[in-house]
Amino acid sequence: MSKFAEDAVALRHALPSRLFHWCLVLGFIPAAITGVILFLRPLGPEGMHLAMQIHIVGAWILMIGSTLFFLLASDRVAAFWRDAFFSWKNDDIIWLAKGGGYPQKMLLNKEIDVPPMGKMNSGQKMMGILVFFGTLIIIASGAILYFALPLVPKAIAYYADKAHLIVGLFLTLCVFCGHIPLGIYNWAAFKSMFGDGTIRVKEAEHHNKLWVEEELKKIS
Amino acid sequence: MKYDYVEKAITVTRREFIGMLGIAAAMLWTGAFAVTDLVADRNKYIRMRTAGLYKDDEKQAVRQSHNNKSLMKMYETWAGKPMGHLAEELFHTRYYDRTVL
Repeated sequence: MSKFAEDAVALRHALPSRLFHWCLVLGFIPAAITGVILFLRPLGPEGMHLAMQIHIVGAWILMIGSTLFFLLASDRVAAFWRDAFFSWKNDDIIWLAKGGGYPQKMLLNKEIDVPPMGKMNSGQKMMGILVFFGTLIIIASGAILYFALPLVPKAIAYYADKAHLIVGLFLTLCVFCGHIPLGIYNWAAFKSMFGDGTIRVKEAEHHNKLWVEEELKKIS
Repeated sequence: MKYDYVEKAITVTRREFIGMLGIAAAMLWTGAFAVTDLVADRNKYIRMRTAGLYKDDEKQAVRQSHNNKSLMKMYETWAGKPMGHLAEELFHTRYYDRTVL
């Protein structure tokens, strides 16, 4: 029997997190799409030039958004680090081995038992770690390519270019094939991130049982 | 926006703080090491190239062009004298503006 009322609502994503997520949407997605265009070169000179301009604007949004979030919402960064880096248990391995029960749910329309999760499930933790380091690498290597190409030694320019390409393509695949489809599939979580940040406790209880039981407190 | 529950305030223990600091330091150190290593490698090649050029120079029997007999013979036989009109016409290059092709 749940201790929560049927219509109880919890704040899942505070405003700074939602704003940062919008920065990722408006920065990363255009930069990722134009990055693939710049890699495959399907357009003429003017189209490629436009793609590069959009890529640079996206990169600026991503860079400024990430920096501001780190400086102004350090509590959320600490919470993310703790959830993604320091909360790995045996249950996470079991959850990952079962794919979070998503293959059965999506393909066979069947629910299987999976270990209860906190605010982030094991897949999100793994994705979080990849995105954290990946974004750091694409911002640093992109900054070298944009600001300092004539100044750095050739080897650094070469490795910055390769790292930018490989990590950028890898993150693009993770986001477009994993994060976005699964985000839309979990519609309550999607509405929470793109809406007012709230979620019905009953819905959160299903996906994030430990978060609901251990992390939430009632507003007095 | 109306909600009944929020997350408890974020608290970071000393152990977690040291862990985060450790990861940040390791990342910065790895990046800095990679960059300094590449710069050191690049400087190493420049120093090796410089040493090679000096060594080549030392090994040469004739080190100045005006003491080079075959070169002076070339001038005597068909290029006039060094810096002369014919030599300039034959050996000097012209500047072409190729900034706009």
